[in-house]
Parts: sequence; C-alpha cells; structure tokens
Amino acid sequence: MEVLNHLLLGLSVALTPINLAYLFAGVMIGMIVGIIPGFGPAAGIAILLPITFGMEPTGAVIMLAAIYYGSMYGGTITSILLNTPGESSTVASTFDGYPLAQQGRAGPALVMQAVASFVGGTIGVILITVLAPLFSQVTRSFGPPEFFLLVMMGLATLIVMIGGNWRYGLISALIGFALGTVGVDLETGQTRFTFKSAEMIGGIDFIPIAIGVFGLGELYYALYVGLHLKGSGGIVRYDKEQRFWPTARDFIETKFSLVRGSLLGFAIGVIPGAGATVASLMAYSVEKSASPTPEKFGKGAMAGLVGPEAANNAASSGAMVPLLTLGIPGSASTAVLLAAFVLWGLTPGPLLMAQKPEFAWGLIASMYLGNVALLALNIFAIPLFVLMIKLPYRILAPAVILVCTIGTYSVSGSIVETWLMFAAGLVGFFMRLYGFSPAALVLALVLGPLAEQSLRQTLTISGGSFGIFVDRPMSLSILIFTAAIVGGGLLMRRAGRGFKPQ
Amino acid sequence: MISKILMFPAFVAALVLGSVPASAQDKYPSKRLDWTISFGPGGGNDIMSRNLISILEKYKLYPGTIVAENRPGGSGAKGWGYVFSQTGNPYHISSTSGSFITTPLQANTPWQPASFTPVALLASDDMLLLVSKDSKIRTLQEFIAAAKAKPPAIGGIGAVNIDFIVPKLLSEKAGFTFNYVSFNKQGELITALLSNALDAGMSNPGEVMGLLQSGDMRALAFSGKSTPKALGNVPTFAELGYEMGVSLPRGLVLPPGVPKEAQQWWIETVKKVVQTPEWKEYIDKQLLTENVLYGEDFRTFLNKTQGAFADILRKSGAIK
Amino acid sequence: MGGRLLRAGFLLALLFGASWYAWTAFTELSYLSSAGRLGPGFFPRVIGASLVALLAYSVFVDLQGDWPESAISPYWRTAAVLALLCAVFVGLLDLVGGVLAMVAFMAGSLWFLNRGRTLQNALVAILLPLAMYLVFSVWLKATLPRGLIPLPF
Repeated sequence: MEVLNHLLLGLSVALTPINLAYLFAGVMIGMIVGIIPGFGPAAGIAILLPITFGMEPTGAVIMLAAIYYGSMYGGTITSILLNTPGESSTVASTFDGYPLAQQGRAGPALVMQAVASFVGGTIGVILITVLAPLFSQVTRSFGPPEFFLLVMMGLATLIVMIGGNWRYGLISALIGFALGTVGVDLETGQTRFTFKSAEMIGGIDFIPIAIGVFGLGELYYALYVGLHLKGSGGIVRYDKEQRFWPTARDFIETKFSLVRGSLLGFAIGVIPGAGATVASLMAYSVEKSASPTPEKFGKGAMAGLVGPEAANNAASSGAMVPLLTLGIPGSASTAVLLAAFVLWGLTPGPLLMAQKPEFAWGLIASMYLGNVALLALNIFAIPLFVLMIKLPYRILAPAVILVCTIGTYSVSGSIVETWLMFAAGLVGFFMRLYGFSPAALVLALVLGPLAEQSLRQTLTISGGSFGIFVDRPMSLSILIFTAAIVGGGLLMRRAGRGFKPQ
Repeated sequence: MISKILMFPAFVAALVLGSVPASAQDKYPSKRLDWTISFGPGGGNDIMSRNLISILEKYKLYPGTIVAENRPGGSGAKGWGYVFSQTGNPYHISSTSGSFITTPLQANTPWQPASFTPVALLASDDMLLLVSKDSKIRTLQEFIAAAKAKPPAIGGIGAVNIDFIVPKLLSEKAGFTFNYVSFNKQGELITALLSNALDAGMSNPGEVMGLLQSGDMRALAFSGKSTPKALGNVPTFAELGYEMGVSLPRGLVLPPGVPKEAQQWWIETVKKVVQTPEWKEYIDKQLLTENVLYGEDFRTFLNKTQGAFADILRKSGAIK
Repeated sequence: MGGRLLRAGFLLALLFGASWYAWTAFTELSYLSSAGRLGPGFFPRVIGASLVALLAYSVFVDLQGDWPESAISPYWRTAAVLALLCAVFVGLLDLVGGVLAMVAFMAGSLWFLNRGRTLQNALVAILLPLAMYLVFSVWLKATLPRGLIPLPF
C-alpha cells in the first residue's frame, strides 16, 4: 500500500495546472525533436536545459523527461513514412514500418506504433512504480563481465538479422564492426583510423551512418526506379480505401510482441550503457526468431514494428531506474537529466527518492499522464503527417535530403560527420540494390564497440582469465539463463519436428 | 577605480548612441564580445560559460553586449581552433576544460594550450579515489598497502584523461602497480564499482555525491589542493604526502597576440567575478576546487599539466 | 553487361576500403597490449582480414557467377545527379553557410526534378530553408554551418 500512497502523492504533484502545462509542453517538444532526423532527445533536453534554471525542479524534470520519452514516439513517424530514422532508437522501426507504409498501410502502422509506444511506456512506468528497488539491485550487480554477456546475447541475434544472402549479410555486419573500431581505443588511448583528425577522436557516430544507409540509400533507390515520375503519392501509398485503423488481426497477432518488447526493453534500459537503441534492435531480432512466419519480416510484418517500438519506450522508462534510485546515468539523455538535477540543487543518489518524494514520485506519476497524452497526440496528428507524403516525390526527395543533411550536421556541428552521412547514403543505395543487410550493419556498429570494450575490461580486471564469468554470481546466472533458453529452444524444435514431419 | 568612473560615461554614450565614439575606440573594451563555447549546450563547459556571462551581465562588468556561441565538434578542437584563428582580436574569448589539454595530445590541432593569451584559471576539476562500501579498505594508507600486495583494478573514464593520470602518479610515488580499467561513460564506471568488479575507481566529486552520502561508496583521497566543503573530512593526496599538481583547468583564454591592456582588463574583471556570491554558489554546487591563477601563472600551469600528461601517456603508449 | 559491371565496381570499392582498413590494422595497431592482453589491433585485424577475404571471394564468384543479368535502370542518371547535388550541398555548407547552401541546393535539385514550375520551385527553395533556419537556429539554438564570409544568419 506504500506504493499507492507514493503514487497518490505523485499524482497530487503532477496534476497541478502548472505541472500539467510543463508536461504538455514537454511531450510536444519531444515529438518534434524526435521527428527531426539526427536531432535526438539528448540534444533536445540539453538545449532546453537553460530555460529550466529559474523553474521549480519538479516541473522542470516533468518537462525534460517528457521530451525524452516523447521523442521515442516522434522518431518512428519518419522511420515509417520515409525510411529515415528520426533518432537512433527508431532505426529498428524502419525494417518493417516502411514496408508496411509502402503497401498502403501507413495509417495502421502509425496507429500501431503509437499504441506500442504507449504500451511499452506504460508497462515501463508500472514496473518503475512497483519494482524500482528490485531493478536497482540488477543495476548494482552489472559489471563489465555481465555487460559483455548481455552484448553477446545481442550479437547472437545478428544471425537473424543477416537475412537471405549470408555472404552479403556477413559483409554488412563486418563493415559495421569495422566502423565501430574507429576512434580512440578505450583501453590504451591510442587512436585508430582517425587520420589524426580531431573530429574522428570520438569515433563514428551512429546517427550519420543510420540516416545515410537507411534514409538516403532508400531515397536514391526510389529515384533509381523512377518514383519521381509518378504524380502524387510517390513512395508511400496512403489509400483512401485502405482503412486508417488497424484491423483486429493486427492487435491479436502482436499482443505477445507488445509484452515481450516492453519487458525486454525495460530490462535493457535499466542497465547503464545499453539503452533504447540496443533494446529496440534486440527486440526486433527476438520478434523475428519467435515468429511463426519469420520470412515475412522486412516485408511488412506488424510484429516487427510493434516489438521494437514497445521496447524503445520501455527502455526510456527503464533508464529512469538507475537515475532515480542510484543517481547513475544510463544513456546520453539521462546524463543530461542528471546534470540538470545538480543544477537545480538536488543531490542525485540512493537517498533522492526518500529525501524528495514529491520530486521523484511527481515525475513517475507524470509519466503515466505523459504517455496517455502522447497516444492521443499521435493519433490526432497522423493525418497531418500523411499529408506530407502526399507531396509529389520530385519535391519531397530534395526536401528529405535537405533535412537529413542539416539534421546530421547539427548533432555535433561536424562537417566530417556530414560527409560520412553522404558516403553512407551511396553505400546504402548499393546495399539496397544488391541485397546486403543494412540492419546487420547498424546492429554491428552499435554492439561491436560495446562487446570489444566490455571484453577487454573484463580481461583487464581478471588478469586475462575467463574464470571471472563463472566466479561472479550475476554473470553465472546470465550464463545459466542463456543455456536454459538455448537448450529449451533446441528441445522444443526437436519435439516440434516429431509432431509434424516435413 | 578613478579611471573606471571616468570611463563610465563613455560607455553609456556608446550604448545610447549605439555606435562607438572615436574617443572610446582606443579604450578596451568598447565593442561586442564573442564568447565561444567549444562544446554543446548542457555540458560542464557550457554551464560554466553561461554562469560567467550572467555574472558579468548582472554586475555590468562588461560594458557591451556579450554573444555566446556554442561551436562544438572534434572534442573542442573546432571551437578553440576558431578562437585561435582570431589572432590579435581582443573581442573573442573562450572557456577551457579538460579537453583543452588532452585534445591537442591526441589530434593534430594547429594550437596548443599555451598558444592562447591566458586570462585566468578560475577553478579546477579534481578527482576522488573511491571504493565501494563492500571494500575492506578505509584509508589511503590501507589502499596502498593492499595494492603493494596485489595490483588493484582501478577504473576511470578514458585512457587519455586525468582519471588515469592521478592513480598513475600515485602508483609511481607510492611504489605499486595497478591495472587501469578504462570506461566510456560515468554510468558504466559507477555500476562496475558498485558491482565490486573493480577494486577502486576515480570520479569527480559532483558525480558521486549522492552515493557518498548514502554510504554506498567511500572516498579515500582527493586530488585537488583543497577538499570541497560538501565532502567533509576527505583528505587530499598532498596532505597524505602525495603531491599531484595536475588538474583539469576551468579558465578563460583570449586569442593569441591580443594587446596587453585587454589581457590586463580581463584579469581585473575576473578578480571581481570570483568575489561574487553567484560564483561561490556555482563552485559549491558543482563541487569544483577553487583554484585561481592569473595571466602568465595560468600559462605556466597549463604547460605543467600538459607536460605531466604527455610524459605519462607517452610511457603508457597512448600517444607517440 | 552494365549491371554486372556496376556490381563489380561496388564490390571492388568495398574491397579497396577493406584492404586499406586491414593494412592499417596490421601495420599500425598492435595485436597485443603492453600487458600481454588483447591490444588495440586485435579486433581490427580479425575484422579486416575476414572482410578482405569475403569481399575478394565475392568479387570472384559474383563476376563469373550465373547471376541473372540485371539491366541498369534507365533512371540511374536521376539518382546520380541528386547524389552529386547532395555532395555539392555538403561542400557548400562550410563555404557559404547553411542558409545559402540550402537555398542553392533546393533551387538546383528542384530545377532538375520539377522542371518548368518556376514559381512553385522558387517558393519551396526559399520557404523551406527559411523554415529550417527558424526551427534549427532560432528555436532549437543548434549550430547551422557558417560560411567563410560572416552573415547575420
């Protein structure tokens, strides 16, 4: 019942008119920041940080957190309509979201993404409300060995991502791994493949590569097949005859995807360093391997959109757990939030929730309301976004290039990254043309550096011994859990084969 | 003081007329100031600059308008490179932070920290040596004794960073070896320390204050010249006999080759800024070390710190 | 014939990049660190060598293989011109600044894709960059590229 009291306290704070106003401002800004390719929640929060200096901390955090999870809703819209991820955690939503839109199901895809985001976000907040102390124990037991095992589970899903042509799929993944090694080597501090350029010290960012490979690659491909010659409608069809609302089948087919994505996303969000991008990519792989019809993935499977969407929103809730219970930032966005806490005169840490219950619980309660507001906002705004794709493609195409280029530049003001985006666009076009796997490339780019770092950290700590993986209780549990899943899966498959001979 | 009173009407005239009278043109400052922030909004460098600007404006210390501009990119190389290119122009200024020392060591930048006209070091970022609450170690002496028996794993952010330099200097002075475990982000480092994967970790006080208060971590020693008030009775390394002498500089620099008067004007102004309650509050909130050096002393400090970094990093193989 | 050549060109370009990567990894980065553990060059060498091997094999197989010969689309020029315009756009960013580069790029690409509708093109080429400027520079306070010549925007 203590939880209920906390929640009531939170609601009494969140429901004051001024805090509601901040909440709505936050979700609106989050949506817009999410839609702009390149511009992610971390940049959005950082830019609005100065205006919160004079504000009361609870109202300020309600607004900034709303920008964070609001951007997870907004980022998917361009993923679905233009194959251009609005931000990094919505890359996985292009894989099936865009094919759905090409088939004239843009309306149902956008509605389902809003629903999935809502379910993921809400399940995430419920888990924070009820189980935050438990999950904070998970965070506390995650050192480099555990992190490495988690990343390996993610990398195992590459097998699913690689797709039909294994050779081209593997090449795609290796390109992603290679790009991931550029920059300063974390352990020794030596620079790798940087040409001694200051702009390359930080490594190759995910954003320019994802925007280039997906957004620009697809755009050149559309021009290559002559889409600009068609009148209106262009690349994505939005048929009046096709229903705007998803069918009952869409919901029934994806009900488990919603739950799976939400739980997986939350669990990954709780662990610092992984974040919403990893969560959404892993959720996509999980959906594809769990599906009875994996061959439909990449060709417009609703589960392939719903899983990652639920996951990235649940991950953004999950990231609040270490932030509120330990004062630890799990991602770039929560790092900015943490800096904000300090500026407002709070001391983030294990005592925060006990010392400032109205602040922590006001934020948690506002997240319930924020997700409801975002669901409504998304569904009302869908016709507006669909107007955009009714533009003739010969006008839309240059506009997309413009927004992608400026969006990429503005992330860190780097002309080098902008050229990278351009090059990634050319490579993406040929990858699209010849059946390579851009999905495998981005998954490898995200997970490769994490795997290398955590493995080398682990071996430094253990003095080169792999025994550390079984010495530590948490990593041993992860190993046993993985073995159980893999073993169980094999047994099921064998049993399944017994039932229906092929 | 007298000169300031005499100058004041000229400034008012300049503001009212919106143009600079000929008589005031040789008096510095009389024009718009361009303030370059070499990082994006929301970071430590940005926050310090915005605080300084608001103090300058509140106390009307700068007579003209101040235009702050974020020029992020290349770990600071872009913003400082821009200020460097404004050689001789006293109407550009920039704030420094840790990358001011480390970026030129890792990349080919046309500038070095000592290339700029130094105004003042205002504060420094210093490091705490931390252990988790499950560790048996309670003092630095115990830590060193344990380290001599078995090389500890010490975590920090990045290999070309003060997080590595401080334990390295300590190990050389106290005579032990250790394995440095480099992390990318604060969150990963802190969880690794809390999960007892590491024996110890390095961090800014500001980022672990809450964990210290709750007792989840213990601070053994602080690398700055004096311990911030909020940390209580944590000793400094120097007090325990291990002088560090390196800190990440939070200061102000002008482009190379600006007139002496301009440099002097800024030194005088900074002396007023550091007396304001707003500045004291900023230092306290961010748990920075108050560490003020002016003009050439600041340049000496920059050279000394960068020299110490370069020595150690060359030995460790991080740079050539 | 063209389709096969294009595919070979792409694979060879990748092979060229991969070879440079592998060469750098083998010559500049050490396999093991000074402490005898995995060094900065360990993974780059594994990645580089695998990539070169796979790409070389692909060039070999795909060029003589029995791929169905895919003809190059007649619209390849359109895609190529837009890619070229995009390159010019990126190149202009730091020369003339974001706003002028945006106007130039929109004007150029619309003139090419949407020929004959001068008024419509002019409107889009001016209003869209203006909107971008307002959103990015004024509202989000993000950095837009500045040109060599200082302009008020």
